[in-house]
Amino acid sequence: MSIPPPIEIPRWTLVVLNSLYEIERKLEVHGDPGHAKRNVDRIKEEFEQQSLIIEDPLGQPFKETRTDLEATIVGAGTENLVVTEVIKPVIRLVNGPVSRIVQKGIVVVQSKEEASQ
Amino acid sequence: MTKMINFGIDLGTSNSLIAKFDKGSVEVFKNPNGFKETLPSIVGFRNDRIMVGDQARTYAEKDPKSVASRFKRKMGTTETIKIQSLNASKTPIDLSAFVLKELKGFVHSGEAVEAAVITIPASFDTVQSNATKDAGISAGFKHVVLLQEPIAASLAYANKEKSDDLRNSQWIVYDLGGGTFDVALVKIVEGELTVVDHEGDNYLGGSDFDSMIVERILVPEINRRGKFEDLLAQMKSEKGKYNKLWTVLLHKAEEAKIELSTKASAEIDLGMIRDLVDDEGNAIDTILNITRSEFENVIKDAVDGTVDMMKKILTRNSLQSSDLKFILMVGGSTYSPYVRKRVEEMMNIPVNTSIDPTSAITIGAAYFAGSKEFKQEGAAPKAQTNSQIKFRAVYNRNSQESEETFTAKVEGNTAGLFYRISNDDGSFDSGLKPLTTRIAEDLPLREGSFNLFTFKILDGQNNIIDVGFDSIQIAQGRYSVAGQMLPEDICLVKDDRSTKDTRLDLVFAKNCVLPTKGKRTVEIAKTIVKGSRDAITIMVVEGPSEKHSSTNKPIGILAITGEQISRDLLRGTEVDLTFEMSESRDLTVSAYLNGTGQEFSQVFKGQARHVDTRLLATEVLQLETKIQSEIEDAQANDNHDGAAKLEKLNDQLQSLIVESASLSSDDVTDDRFKLEDKKCKIAQGIFELTASKRINAAKANYLQVKFDTASMVQESGNDRERHQLKEILAREELHIHSTNPERIDAATGELQRLHFQILARQPDFLVGMFQHLEEIRPTMNDQAQAKQLIDHGRRLVATKNWDDLRDVNGQLWMLVPDTERAEEDVRLYTGIV
Repeated sequence: MSIPPPIEIPRWTLVVLNSLYEIERKLEVHGDPGHAKRNVDRIKEEFEQQSLIIEDPLGQPFKETRTDLEATIVGAGTENLVVTEVIKPVIRLVNGPVSRIVQKGIVVVQSKEEASQ
Repeated sequence: MTKMINFGIDLGTSNSLIAKFDKGSVEVFKNPNGFKETLPSIVGFRNDRIMVGDQARTYAEKDPKSVASRFKRKMGTTETIKIQSLNASKTPIDLSAFVLKELKGFVHSGEAVEAAVITIPASFDTVQSNATKDAGISAGFKHVVLLQEPIAASLAYANKEKSDDLRNSQWIVYDLGGGTFDVALVKIVEGELTVVDHEGDNYLGGSDFDSMIVERILVPEINRRGKFEDLLAQMKSEKGKYNKLWTVLLHKAEEAKIELSTKASAEIDLGMIRDLVDDEGNAIDTILNITRSEFENVIKDAVDGTVDMMKKILTRNSLQSSDLKFILMVGGSTYSPYVRKRVEEMMNIPVNTSIDPTSAITIGAAYFAGSKEFKQEGAAPKAQTNSQIKFRAVYNRNSQESEETFTAKVEGNTAGLFYRISNDDGSFDSGLKPLTTRIAEDLPLREGSFNLFTFKILDGQNNIIDVGFDSIQIAQGRYSVAGQMLPEDICLVKDDRSTKDTRLDLVFAKNCVLPTKGKRTVEIAKTIVKGSRDAITIMVVEGPSEKHSSTNKPIGILAITGEQISRDLLRGTEVDLTFEMSESRDLTVSAYLNGTGQEFSQVFKGQARHVDTRLLATEVLQLETKIQSEIEDAQANDNHDGAAKLEKLNDQLQSLIVESASLSSDDVTDDRFKLEDKKCKIAQGIFELTASKRINAAKANYLQVKFDTASMVQESGNDRERHQLKEILAREELHIHSTNPERIDAATGELQRLHFQILARQPDFLVGMFQHLEEIRPTMNDQAQAKQLIDHGRRLVATKNWDDLRDVNGQLWMLVPDTERAEEDVRLYTGIV
């Protein structure tokens, strides 16, 4: 049985999408008095039309079967993990009802109990 | 029957790789789950699963009782690794076998790996070497040949630089990886490559450099910017307040380290971290800067330590640096220019960086494997069929949940067998789980998608057992009562200046689950003056997005006229459109005009169709123009059959023109709908008769432009442009088979831009452009400046100063009036592009 080889997306595309995600996060953290979010959404839509979407795993549960994330565990617990920090988001190439991951997310995960403290 | 081994494996302490020799070249296989060639040599046993690689690495530090790493260094010892979750111990041989079995899965052709050359460190003794061989046999290889890592690296070099005569010479292989350092003196003795001496440090590598950056550069800087009691300790402690920051900084330090290979300084931006405050709650400045010299200072001692080891080898072997041909650099950390420079400076001989440091060892092993034979017993093994195993899967093919349980009943002898389920999109891998008579696995589902999983039953050596079941398909959010599916594409109609027609922009794709929402931003194609009757038309149609607006059914029109706007809307102004479709297929279209700040909104009911009689009449006339031009085209190309069919459609169209002209704007009968349907059918007929022509034309154009651009890049392109071309062509498969000519045209456009980018540097083009501008000078806006520029341009042509001529052309172009610059005025149907 042959396996589909991973799809490669030009590096510059991923660099732009990662920066876009960072801008979006910064606007959330530091506020957005100039409504820059509109421009971010606009750029994201353009990429969506090229079948590329950014997925933000922040707050999602994590377990060992997830292969869309490269996680580092902080704290002592290793069960009931959630994503508490996203260094890079997940990027997917969508083709109709199916999609493929073209960039794994790089995240920090922590047990739910410790994260809520 | 004998056969070449062909497969080479670098079974590393931190990472492992597999490659294959085939017809003179070597392919390094990629991790199907990781976009990289490396597999972390880490094995985890958690919740009844066996995981190898990145999945296991996540838990390596926090759950060492379930996860084993760095076991290569224990090969050949009696030490075993206790695995709490199994309540049993695993030997380093067992663990290495898991890594080797996982690497077999990298071979994307599905070809069985029957034999392999596996590399071992120069320091391995006989017992350690035999242990590696045992791991290979345990992984299911029928034949294993061992090869020392420095020899493998040297072979990779010798095969790449075939002209370099290595006879009667000796060199050092310097291998600085992610977590270990090895150095070996290699010599050709009686025609054979031999490791004469070696040294190493099991705890030095690139990850140590990252920690040094954090501890010695970043933490002191953050300390200077705020008040912290003991920041470093709080970062390193599991329960520390800043434990999360330690992980983030390590990632950022690694990125900065790579950036410093090409730049003098790198920025670390922590602006996206929430609550980054000091002990007193004050926010700190989040941009940190690292210079290359700071980085070099912190790693200097570590690099000097590696040089000391090389010097020890030279002293032991009574050699001088000058006795060496070169130092061959291997391992990811040798990408660092400082490492290369420092080693070269201190050893006073050249470093050799001509082979890829990450994959050199596995490539060398594959070259060696390509020259080694083994005896194949019987035919090459294919997937075994196990008729003893009866397998019955039970699961929901359609689901509304975010997770669905897959269950199966298995009959027969399952001892020693495993199963594994992975999502084809790369987001899930169950790891290896023991096969039992009943299996159950929770599968995560992606919302609104077909979720395709691969199911495998494997024996103890990772060979696939065929039980007649290999895939699981679950549609999430489909075919349910709660979430209705959209039966046709919903598209926005926009003007297309290049074809002087309209084109469709897909808003919601067929089969998407309702309710749904989408956004588009369009531009005003022509200035709309306040108070005028000019309008923009936001027209939404239902039907295949690759067709034409006239072939699809109109759902609704939101028209905004000059009388409704508070000030002029200039050409190019953006309009944000929002489309919302409810489960009962009511469509709400909202338009926000960025130029005036006004918002317009309209709801189109799913039950009621909107047909504007005025627009219908326009569209019918538009179709007439189109059909006549298509008939002429078909006749010109001797396509008599096509022309006859189009003529037939034209007859129907002529009667439709008469009927639609007699329709009043306030017609209350259902005639308008009947005529609209007729129009759609005729338009579809035209579209179908000419579809292949358009796709073929788009493909032919693409191929021509591709040829022209490739020739241009080859003749006059630089490295960056060569790379750009490679990137565009790498995506060719995604659009060349498309049924939508626009997708093909988009790729053609990319190639044309690249072509023009190079063309714009060519002297002939620049002179031709200048001559054209010279000719149209009388039309230019500022005659005095134009004359000055033309005179200057002539001098530049005479002195062949092409760079400056390009600037002059640019300045002259700016003096060309808009009417000259603008393309031929096109008829606008919707007023939006």
